[in-house]
Amino acid sequence: MSHLLAFALCLAGFAALAFAVHRQQRDIFGRSLPLATTWVLRVLGACALLLALGVLVAWHGWSLGLVMFSGHTSLVSGIVYCMLVGYSRIRPRALPRSAPR
Amino acid sequence: MNSDNDQRVAGRGIRQTMSSLHTWTGLLLGWILYAMFLTGTVSYFKDELSQWMRPELARLSEIPDQAVVAQRIADEFGKTLAGASQWSMRLPDARNNSVYAFWRTSARSPGQRGFGEAYFDPATGGKVTSRETLGGDFFYRFHFQFHYMPVVWGRWIAGAAAMFMLVAIVSGVITHKKIFVDFFTFRWGRRQRSWLDAHNALAVFGLPFHLMITYTGLVTLMALYMPWGERVAFKTPAERQQLAAELSAFIPPGKPSGQNVPLASVEEMVRQAQERWGRDQVGRVNAVHPGDAAARVAVTRGDPGRVSMSPQYLEFEGATGKLLAVRENVGGAAETRGVFYALHLGRFSDTVTRWLYFLVSFMGTAMVGTGLVMWTVKRRQQLPDPDRPYFGFRLVERLNIAGIAGLSVAMTAFLWGNRLLPHPLEGRAELEIHLFFIVWALTLLHALARPARSAWVEQLWAASVLLSLLPVLNAMTTQRPLWHSLAEGDWIFAGMDIMCWALAWLHAALAMRTARQSAVSPSRSKANRRAPVTVASSEGAG
Repeated sequence: MSHLLAFALCLAGFAALAFAVHRQQRDIFGRSLPLATTWVLRVLGACALLLALGVLVAWHGWSLGLVMFSGHTSLVSGIVYCMLVGYSRIRPRALPRSAPR
Repeated sequence: MNSDNDQRVAGRGIRQTMSSLHTWTGLLLGWILYAMFLTGTVSYFKDELSQWMRPELARLSEIPDQAVVAQRIADEFGKTLAGASQWSMRLPDARNNSVYAFWRTSARSPGQRGFGEAYFDPATGGKVTSRETLGGDFFYRFHFQFHYMPVVWGRWIAGAAAMFMLVAIVSGVITHKKIFVDFFTFRWGRRQRSWLDAHNALAVFGLPFHLMITYTGLVTLMALYMPWGERVAFKTPAERQQLAAELSAFIPPGKPSGQNVPLASVEEMVRQAQERWGRDQVGRVNAVHPGDAAARVAVTRGDPGRVSMSPQYLEFEGATGKLLAVRENVGGAAETRGVFYALHLGRFSDTVTRWLYFLVSFMGTAMVGTGLVMWTVKRRQQLPDPDRPYFGFRLVERLNIAGIAGLSVAMTAFLWGNRLLPHPLEGRAELEIHLFFIVWALTLLHALARPARSAWVEQLWAASVLLSLLPVLNAMTTQRPLWHSLAEGDWIFAGMDIMCWALAWLHAALAMRTARQSAVSPSRSKANRRAPVTVASSEGAG
């Protein structure tokens, strides 16, 4: 249960952090988001990751919790990355900077 | 202004220097590192793999009472190993369905090793007659000491490779100047850029793990690599024994009294340990001079649930069962080493954490693999005549094929050997290992004989076919096919079959992608390089 919750929080956290990067904003939304929105996404992303750490530490203690947190963040960042790549492959025409095949 | 320019020039200089260091430390022992990483990754499931490779041993639907099992096996030893000067048994747990034991005999006659080992049935106490195999322990041992060479040589080579890896990681971090800006960047269809992005992503996402696993790998063998401090600090036998007691459940051997006294109840000893640590938390029971009045027994705590390999054990007087000592703490330096050791092995993990270890370690393997391939991708574009590359390029290219695709074929062949070699057969375990190396050597010959692209595609397909048919072979040669495993809830056998298909799919996808790329003409490739198909912005990484 703690793993599932931590996984979901990490997923939300990294998704928010990805949307807070200008390059990804342009690729996904076709434009840069307002600076305030970018900062909110950064803070939300960081908070979600800290919350995931808190959940794992509360459930398993510092030693196991930190190891599990490291594993979750590594894996989930890879999943978010693959989702971004997959999205850009599925909807290349939505991207203004994409060239035709 | 000038000062800024100077700083920028100096910054570029250090980055370029680090880039070269990263390239060459990554390449020179890269194939060894890849093999260490992949076999090490697999080793996170070595106990499960060992169960799969000994299908004759029945699955444990629940963990038996370790105290009862320990007494049962001790009774068996009392009958069959009367002359043993020492024995040690690893009790069954959530990941082991048998009791593994080894023993030493004091009287060594010519031709005898004075050492024995066997697997025992926890339900009956009798020896089990499973096929002779090293199981998952082969990959585990290979990943830090290799094979066909003295163990110490292998460990020195592994240490050198790990040190190269550590240098490559640190220099790679310095080289990668936009870690956060490029965190999620992947530029599809740009060949060299795409490989670089994939390599960076695999490196950065798992960076804490990669640093940890490399550094702790060196720590596990630090006494071999840097023995001088220990030699200076611990000179007398008593000091060395004290050191040994900090690092493992060590009972000073002492001398037998010569007076025969049967061991007291081992069950009671384990019971005391269970009360202290929990029902399924006992790891091993070790006995020195069992059956003698001077016997000592140590009951050690298992690895699950604690991020430390520092020994915790109860020491008993063998003849009376009296608790002599409780050792649950070691000094700060020993505990630091114990934590690093545990972080490397990950044996404290629950199932989810073990999968996290496996998957992030797999990312590390892919990081090394993409780094090796990138070396050729980058230089291919600069070749004056791509059809006649220079020797170094050809060497790296062919070693990459055998080192990456060929290793997958060889590892799968090892598992095929486990199912196909007759049983019983003299030297069967060693034959499985020979098969692994013969197939690996054949993939190198194949890579040398075929055009590079064809060799990649053919070996990736070979790995895919072998992996996808392994569950079929398992169904034909054992009583534990997938449908049976699923019905019984046997997730070790079912998981192995499903994992084989997942890896078969991965190899097939890589084979198809490589084949498709080879079909693209050079002019098309150039066009692709100018105009990326998708994503990611046209901004370069710089």
